[in-house]
Amino acid sequence: MRILVAMSGGVDSSVAAAMLVEAGHDVVGATMKTFCYSGEAAESRKTCCGLEGIRDARLVADRLGIAHYVFDVEDEFTRDVIDDFVSEYGRGRTPNPCVRCNSNTKFRDLLKRGRVLGCDGVASGHYARLERNNGEPMLLRGRDRSKDQSYFLWGLPADLLGLLHFPLGELTKPEVRSRARQLGLETADKPESQEICFVPTGNYRDLLAKKLLPTHPALSPGAIVDTRGRIVGRHNGYSGYTVGQRRGIGGGRAERYHVLEIRPATREVVVGPRELLEVGGVVVGELNWLTAPPEPGRNLQVQIRYRSPALACTVAALNRDGIELRFDEPARAVTPGQSSVLFDGDRVVGGGRIDRVTNTGY
Amino acid sequence: MPGISPPIYLDHAATTPVRPEVAAAMSASLAEDFGNPSSGHAWGRRARGRLEAARASVAASLGVTPDRVLFTRGGTESDNLAVLGRIRHDLEAGVVPHVVTSAVEHPAVLEAAERARREGGRHTVIGFRAGAFDLDALEGTLRDDRPGLVSCMWVNNETGLVLPIAEIGLLCRRHGVPLHSDAVQAVGKIPFEWAEAPADLLTLTGHKIYGPKGTGALIARDFGTLRPLHFGGGQERGLRPGTEDVAGAAGLAEAVRLAVAEAPAESARLGALRDAVETGLLARIPGARVNAGSLPRAPHILSLGLPGADSDTLLAALDASGIAASGGSACASGSSAPSGTLAALYPGDGAAALRLSFGRLNRSRDAAPVVLAVAEAVDRTLSLVSP
Repeated sequence: MRILVAMSGGVDSSVAAAMLVEAGHDVVGATMKTFCYSGEAAESRKTCCGLEGIRDARLVADRLGIAHYVFDVEDEFTRDVIDDFVSEYGRGRTPNPCVRCNSNTKFRDLLKRGRVLGCDGVASGHYARLERNNGEPMLLRGRDRSKDQSYFLWGLPADLLGLLHFPLGELTKPEVRSRARQLGLETADKPESQEICFVPTGNYRDLLAKKLLPTHPALSPGAIVDTRGRIVGRHNGYSGYTVGQRRGIGGGRAERYHVLEIRPATREVVVGPRELLEVGGVVVGELNWLTAPPEPGRNLQVQIRYRSPALACTVAALNRDGIELRFDEPARAVTPGQSSVLFDGDRVVGGGRIDRVTNTGY
Repeated sequence: MPGISPPIYLDHAATTPVRPEVAAAMSASLAEDFGNPSSGHAWGRRARGRLEAARASVAASLGVTPDRVLFTRGGTESDNLAVLGRIRHDLEAGVVPHVVTSAVEHPAVLEAAERARREGGRHTVIGFRAGAFDLDALEGTLRDDRPGLVSCMWVNNETGLVLPIAEIGLLCRRHGVPLHSDAVQAVGKIPFEWAEAPADLLTLTGHKIYGPKGTGALIARDFGTLRPLHFGGGQERGLRPGTEDVAGAAGLAEAVRLAVAEAPAESARLGALRDAVETGLLARIPGARVNAGSLPRAPHILSLGLPGADSDTLLAALDASGIAASGGSACASGSSAPSGTLAALYPGDGAAALRLSFGRLNRSRDAAPVVLAVAEAVDRTLSLVSP
């Protein structure tokens, strides 16, 4: 089988490519140039050419003896990922850009190019598993729970599932690193990437300031209020806040206050004590299903952030626009804009973006 | 996916294979002349003899005297030395540096010229007007500003466009401004009398003409207006210090000799092949355009503008089907970067560029399979354009 493997230059996708080669597939490497790291037009061409990830991916591909291509997907990435990121913060929500990239750029846009090259499938270095149940592809959590990335994959177009390959699904991160060393891959000891790739400074507000008008409400000062509407402080733009966060409140009361809610219409950031972060339910929109949609009354597990355990829940209602879930136990820091991913055991059922919380304590 | 077998190399403008005569000259030098050409003993004399023979050979091939030939380590270095060397000269002389370039120069010239701006001087870029190089604008800046240097390539690497170097040279001479020309794509491709070359400085490189990579020369009527970029020895008039690459010089000399001797026959042969591919592709791909098609072009480059196509994917598809080509020009990352040349020729145009460049690895029988494979790959990439 001819498989296009998405190679970021990191250790995971490098090992994924190596494993596919070992398995005897006809492997083609691809790195997507998603954006220009430098906004300076005069320097950007040079900077892009020097992108470390592209260079590393190419070195690894050469080592593996496979072809490697760079695809410029900047237009698509800007439209589907960066613009969405900015617009979500503009609405007082906290987006998962990696989900958007996986749902659009990394697989759909890459597969389109792969088909031109005669490839039958696309692979990546995600820690997730694909198994077939009577021919029906199922997306499962990666075996290494501490690295499991299935949370980021709920938005995959269901009709593409059968064309995807996740060679690392059965491995742990230390196993991947040790394989990389055995293979002599240049990227074996490369540190994990933590930052959002298109926010190399680590401060997303720099990007918002560049993309939004200075007068945009998300960047304008507003009031920090408590649950009764009393002003307890000021802020310099609600886009600097995330529900659940405990900082930036000021006035020496930081210990006691957490962000409970962001109200873009009034530019208010609502704060309160930690116990008020607990909510009983959530409404999730922009749904995507990787199985048949669950019936109301069904018991599932939901993961509301990347680094948090799945919570037992019940489907309260479902229609085309959204699903309402009730948590069996109150959940903490449920953040609008973040992905909510439904699991049935290890299997990803589907997911969406958190629209609002229900059954708050205030 | 079915591919062409054996694969066809259509990227001679990026680089070329070392030809056997060149390899033989280099092997002989590597085997026999390990001495340092600066040494006074017999080993040094022997290496120096080979180096100076190479210089004399390059000079003879070009119809200039050997004292005009300065060996460098490649085209980029020659371009940098011509432009930056002049900027440094002017700065030393207390003159505000001003470099004029065409808009279609190689980055080795453009980015060097930009240094003039950073040093408090100027970099004027001459573009195209009504589809032709803007000689009026050039004359205007020559007359009004008296720049220190004009740098204008002979043959554009991305499109094969031949710049009106005779006219440019005439204007420069009339206004007493030296002209540098990057001729790396012209040598061996366009027959002309080098002694009559209207440029005061010429850049040559070995690897575009079946010579070794890392070799080049700067031909100059007068080295006095240049200052070095490297320091630490008196070699090459102190303008390119460092122990000389004798074998490289021998290889370059042989490559230049053969390129110049074979230019008339080879350019006719490549022109016929290029025309066959061009005609075939224009007939097969609706909407395709020949970049710089209405301007004089060197025979070895065909640059197509393909509206609605995706350059990266097209090149990958061609590679997968056994054809080596490139986009505008080879970028270090392998990804297409916006081309300054195409932007100058077709402002605001987003057509993907495909460059096929022909050379010694190609035969006339290649035309038919190339047309088929390229047309088919373009068809497939056009279908992927997303809404």
